[in-house]
Amino acid sequence: MRIGYFCTFTPKELIHSAGFLPFRIFATRKPISLASAYIQSYACSQVRGALEVALSDEFHGFVFTRSCDTLMRLTDILEFLGKRVYNIEFPTKIGNVDYYVYELRDFCKTLESWGGEISFERVIESLALYRELEEKLKKLFEVRADYEIAIKVQQIDVSGAIKLVEKKIEEAKKEEKPKILVTGSVCPYPEIYEIFTKAGFAIKDDLCTGRRFFEFNYPNFEPHDLDSALRFLAEKYFSKAPCPTKHYPNDYRFDYLLRLAEDCEAVVFLLVKFCEPHFFDFPQLREKLEEMGKKVALIELEFPVASTEQIRTRVEALKEVIG
Amino acid sequence: MKRLKVAEKMRNLMAGYYMLGHQAKVRAWVTSGAPVEILYAMDVYPVYPENHGALIGAAKLGSYYSDFSEKRGFSRDLCSYARCDIGCVFAGTSPVGGLPKPSFLFACNNICNTVVKWYEILSRIFKVPLFVLDVPFVRKELKESHLRYVEDQLIDFIKFVEKLIGMQMDDSKLREVAMKSIEAVKLYGECLRMSKNRPSPMTCFDAFINMAPIVCLRGTDYAVSFYKEMKEELEDRVKNRIYAVENEKFRLLWDNIPVWYRLRWLSDFFASRNACLVADTYTNAWTGFGELRSSDLISSLAEVYTVSYLNIGLERMVEIINGLIEFYEVDGVVMHSNRSCKPYSFGQYEIQKKLSVPSVIIEADMVDERAFSEAQVATRLEAFLEML
Repeated sequence: MRIGYFCTFTPKELIHSAGFLPFRIFATRKPISLASAYIQSYACSQVRGALEVALSDEFHGFVFTRSCDTLMRLTDILEFLGKRVYNIEFPTKIGNVDYYVYELRDFCKTLESWGGEISFERVIESLALYRELEEKLKKLFEVRADYEIAIKVQQIDVSGAIKLVEKKIEEAKKEEKPKILVTGSVCPYPEIYEIFTKAGFAIKDDLCTGRRFFEFNYPNFEPHDLDSALRFLAEKYFSKAPCPTKHYPNDYRFDYLLRLAEDCEAVVFLLVKFCEPHFFDFPQLREKLEEMGKKVALIELEFPVASTEQIRTRVEALKEVIG
Repeated sequence: MKRLKVAEKMRNLMAGYYMLGHQAKVRAWVTSGAPVEILYAMDVYPVYPENHGALIGAAKLGSYYSDFSEKRGFSRDLCSYARCDIGCVFAGTSPVGGLPKPSFLFACNNICNTVVKWYEILSRIFKVPLFVLDVPFVRKELKESHLRYVEDQLIDFIKFVEKLIGMQMDDSKLREVAMKSIEAVKLYGECLRMSKNRPSPMTCFDAFINMAPIVCLRGTDYAVSFYKEMKEELEDRVKNRIYAVENEKFRLLWDNIPVWYRLRWLSDFFASRNACLVADTYTNAWTGFGELRSSDLISSLAEVYTVSYLNIGLERMVEIINGLIEFYEVDGVVMHSNRSCKPYSFGQYEIQKKLSVPSVIIEADMVDERAFSEAQVATRLEAFLEML
């Protein structure tokens, strides 16, 4: 049974351990029609597109984590439409692990009420599987960024996903190309990434459909019971690659991004129109990146992407400037 | 539009409030739904960028100040309060000569997550510390763990301010401020409820115009005496049969933040069609802050500020709106689908279906007049009133 989720902060390990398939919902290529009756046109197209999928496909339930205001309301909208939903109150301010452990405990109870089974052994097993997947994805991306795989693994069972990535690692060859940092929220269209590689760039990313799905720092302890497994999970997600929907001490996300950009020739902000958290960060980040001598470009996306031509022109122009 | 006499007093009061800001020793920029009582108890002067945004909108200068932000790369799709306020910082001025620079920033996300991003930007510009009060969203029941999370942060916040100002908070002072806050909110609620009279002595436009003191001066004597006076004027109006709309035929409810640059136009539009907007969900949101208990104040502050109107699920919002419809004997609801306020606007289509009276949605923006199409709004509202 598929449980739909939207945000990379979702503890998919728990959904998996309870016996469900955590299935990340992205905007599809289908034009948005059903969703327009339930949410305004100034909601981002990722949310409108995801709502379209949620309304037309089969799901056992939907899990949200507090991230942006639009997703927060989408939870309610889906519930009003008769769907089974749950919202995990992931803190906006990163810091209080104890609080989040409580939230995860409540989430376990919800999964049980949805027909799932929660046990320490199974949680540990899922933790290990997802860690293996994440580490392998990291390894693959060190050689070659493969977004088709990064997107696919979020919609299939984790064991199959690991095998798929292993195969890709064997095939992957490193290419020496100038690096470009692509930062933003989601882009479920593999052909858009190809525009960058075809223009002669090697992509390094800071995206929900890339690194933010698999880059974690793992806590330094072995869980010995369910509660400590939840603590492990909380700490793991607190130290995930940062997202602009969260508030970090000492402006951590800015530092993180500037560090990521260090060995890149250029930075592209690949932003979904109406995505407030990213658009708020953009001007000040651009300023700092330009101070570092980086070329910066902003590409605004709306799903479904009608034509990639305009994006191609922008990326090629950027490549020319860099030489 | 028959303005209330107190509106003049309100203008002077707010002018004084803005002036005082420049003399204050310690200033915090604070969001509209933050527990300001703590600041007043520690003699920290609160500056309200959102009120400032509303003021810019009412002065019809939204696009002018937004332009200063847009030139720096801030998207026109971002919240217009934020765009204008940040724009004023870049412009170095505003209709009130710019806001006095902050000593620190205090953002509470019980109204939206936008404020967190907005205040992060301010924190980088002014190079001052930012305290984020992170309030979990209450979709259903308020959970004990959520309350404890907020309580812990309130204690952290008090320590944060104490360290900055080098002085301890006096508990009795906090109690005193909270009592004033409760009193002001009570009087304010009584003012709003005067609209229960048929015909009503005031419209929601009066409520909008006169809401600044409950936002900015909650916890001070100023707010208490202002709403006392407003209440007296409304009682006089009722006694002397002075009605906001002469031939009140329809009674309506407004949902969402006002269209600040079109208050007069909207007010005239409805009045000329014998329609009176007797109440609104926006100003009503502040009446919830009156539930403070003076015993166990921190816990009570945590609770009151967690279940604020924009921090609750749609189901609960529907209950509140239907409650207002019943109380004010409303015939229809006018919903402002506000491009700038996602948490207030998304879900309106669903809410509409569950209301006990007919409703209409108009598309606009609270401050940015470029998002307003007069012909479109007029046609929609005409059709709605005809239907009623």
